[in-house]
Amino acid sequence: MPTAVITGTSRGLGRALTERLLSLGWYVYGISRSSSRINHPHFQEYLADITNEQAVQQVANSIKETGKSIEVLVNNAGAASMNAFLLTPFKSAESIMRLNYLSTFNTTQLFGKIMARQRHGLIVNITTVAVPLNLEGEAAYVASKAAVEALTRVTAREMIAQGVKVIALGFGPIDTDLTRAISRDKIQKINDQISRPSGTTLSEAIDFILEKINNSEIKSGSVEYLADIR
Amino acid sequence: MTRTESITLILKRIQILGAELAKPELCKATEATKLFGESSSLDSMGLVTLISDLEEDIRQQYKISVTLVDEKAMSRLTSPFRSVHHLADYITMVVNDRKS
Repeated sequence: MPTAVITGTSRGLGRALTERLLSLGWYVYGISRSSSRINHPHFQEYLADITNEQAVQQVANSIKETGKSIEVLVNNAGAASMNAFLLTPFKSAESIMRLNYLSTFNTTQLFGKIMARQRHGLIVNITTVAVPLNLEGEAAYVASKAAVEALTRVTAREMIAQGVKVIALGFGPIDTDLTRAISRDKIQKINDQISRPSGTTLSEAIDFILEKINNSEIKSGSVEYLADIR
Repeated sequence: MTRTESITLILKRIQILGAELAKPELCKATEATKLFGESSSLDSMGLVTLISDLEEDIRQQYKISVTLVDEKAMSRLTSPFRSVHHLADYITMVVNDRKS
């Protein structure tokens, strides 16, 4: 039974991806601050703050003790921040960077060590089309996800020596809590910019992630978007 | 953890790595074997794999989590990753510090 570790499983994309993988026969370890309330014999949830190195270390140790190999890590947990750059409080920028970038750094290192030991594994970092679009009003968010993309490319080059691949997958606005604060007009404008006028559903995003997970030939270090960006 | 146990742990792991990387010279490693630099059979990624594997070996055998590459290691006058000899000294110290 293949095993995945997914962060941010309490809601949105992380929760939906967990449910899909469980339905496909995967074993899933979820890490989130609040409970997903998913009740499945192949799902184990850890309530932890992924920006806390010690907390994630404890989760990694606990998973190691099971002796299960980990095929996939999905760094999904994240937060967005909509604000003009000149009005964005430093604390907001710091908190976005911690949650989006440093938590990815943390989990990639801790679970990457497990995968390196196995000599196989795939790490999927979730990013956003806001990076290539250089979306105005999202400077802190875009910078944090650009850092995730850079981390993806560098870690891919380093960890391929241990048989571990790292990729980043990005989406336009998906109807989750993350995008609720964005106006409908702005969402439509972004969807038009990425040639997806009808938007992206959770199901389409998950299909895209699964297509990449199931592609054994996928190029490590690649950053791909479910979008047509010109 | 004794120094002899450290040496045994490191040499065993280097031999496994040697077989994996098809580098027979690593299978004959001794305490004097260099771990980086021109005379080493390990490249930088090989050294990363060795250190990462050793952290896991220590966790499994001694039930403690250690981070071998940290500011303490990097700031030492003589790098603990220079040779098997230096690494054994360092691992013995780190593990015993953690246990005490």
